[in-house]
Amino acid sequence: MKTPVIVRIFDIVGGPLCVSAEDGQRVHDKIAALIRDDQPVILSFERVETLISAFLNAAIGQLYGEFPEDRIREMVTVQDMDAEDMAVLKVVIENAKKYFSNPKAFDEAWREEMGNDNE
Amino acid sequence: MIHHLPTIRSNQDGYDRLAELAKATSDLMFDRLELSLSRVSFLDANMAAPLGVVLAGVADRFNTVEIVEVPEMVERILRKNGFLTQYRFEPLPDNNRTTIPYRRLQRNDEGLFEDYLQQHLKGKGMPRMSEGLGKVFKQKLFEVFQNAVIHSESELGIFVCGQWFPQKQKLDLTIADAGIGIRDRVRRHFGNDKIGSVPAIRWALQESNTTKTGGQPGGLGLKLLHEFARLNKGRIHIVSRFGFYEFNAGQESFAKLENDFPGTAVTLEVNTADTSAYCLASEVTREDIF
Repeated sequence: MKTPVIVRIFDIVGGPLCVSAEDGQRVHDKIAALIRDDQPVILSFERVETLISAFLNAAIGQLYGEFPEDRIREMVTVQDMDAEDMAVLKVVIENAKKYFSNPKAFDEAWREEMGNDNE
Repeated sequence: MIHHLPTIRSNQDGYDRLAELAKATSDLMFDRLELSLSRVSFLDANMAAPLGVVLAGVADRFNTVEIVEVPEMVERILRKNGFLTQYRFEPLPDNNRTTIPYRRLQRNDEGLFEDYLQQHLKGKGMPRMSEGLGKVFKQKLFEVFQNAVIHSESELGIFVCGQWFPQKQKLDLTIADAGIGIRDRVRRHFGNDKIGSVPAIRWALQESNTTKTGGQPGGLGLKLLHEFARLNKGRIHIVSRFGFYEFNAGQESFAKLENDFPGTAVTLEVNTADTSAYCLASEVTREDIF
């Protein structure tokens, strides 16, 4: 296995604010390309101050629609992340696994319950 | 036209009264709105954000908006937080540093929103508010802001305003937009224009439910907000079009407004006395995260 490369989120986003889906998409594109090249990655969140689910859904969550779980677990690790951010990432990942296992299921279950109301 | 605004509290009735103002002015064009506050005995400062939404809509239809007959106490609050300076009132310094000012931002202003939070949350409730709580609170406010950015389609921007109550150890912050509302997003998603505002909010609050398309999971912003309020013993209001939602003291309630609020507003009330170490999930480690 190749030596992992460190992907510094702060440098890709250009600052400590990781909130937008667009910035998350840029991070995603870099990670996905590396995984396809069999290149293990370490995502460093050093100097990142604000991290939210909209960013993480794009950056990491959508990887679960492209690669099997085992492959991601094998190729991606994180570092320099505090407990609060790690907790949000965990929620994002669990949600992504569920979403890609059956993306339409939630909507179907709700379709009947939405009622009939113009307001 | 002249419209008399009544007392506006940060609750269902307050939003109903603002939606009433929106309805009363909906046909006004190339005209003038004189908004009299003479009947306002109290106006919760954070409600300046949804009031800003309604008045921005009025002004956008080429109307002149004037705010008149403002009772002294209300004027003091709204000059201190900068709301009335939009309407040619002089600013008033906030010597007690309890206001979290009124701002109208554009959807691509996330950097300005960061500066705003950095500048105006600092020292409010802290140092009692633990470092972890301060960070998580800011994170949740960004979740709400990004929801508005991604989903609202608000051409008039995003409106924020808050207030810190040091004695009550709480801080309220409202983020409002003049967009299409949760209802219209959900209607589009289901291809069903008979979905009401309340069921739409109920749907949006469920984990994983998202109107996002294009292979990206979502639907976590409101869920994380809810989880935060539960742990913090805080409060949430979500108002979107005819829908009203409240989470308070562990209880959820939904209600229908009498009139159509022209957008979405989310208020987060944080209990600043909460000094516990903050982490929304326990014992997540690097090893078991993926």
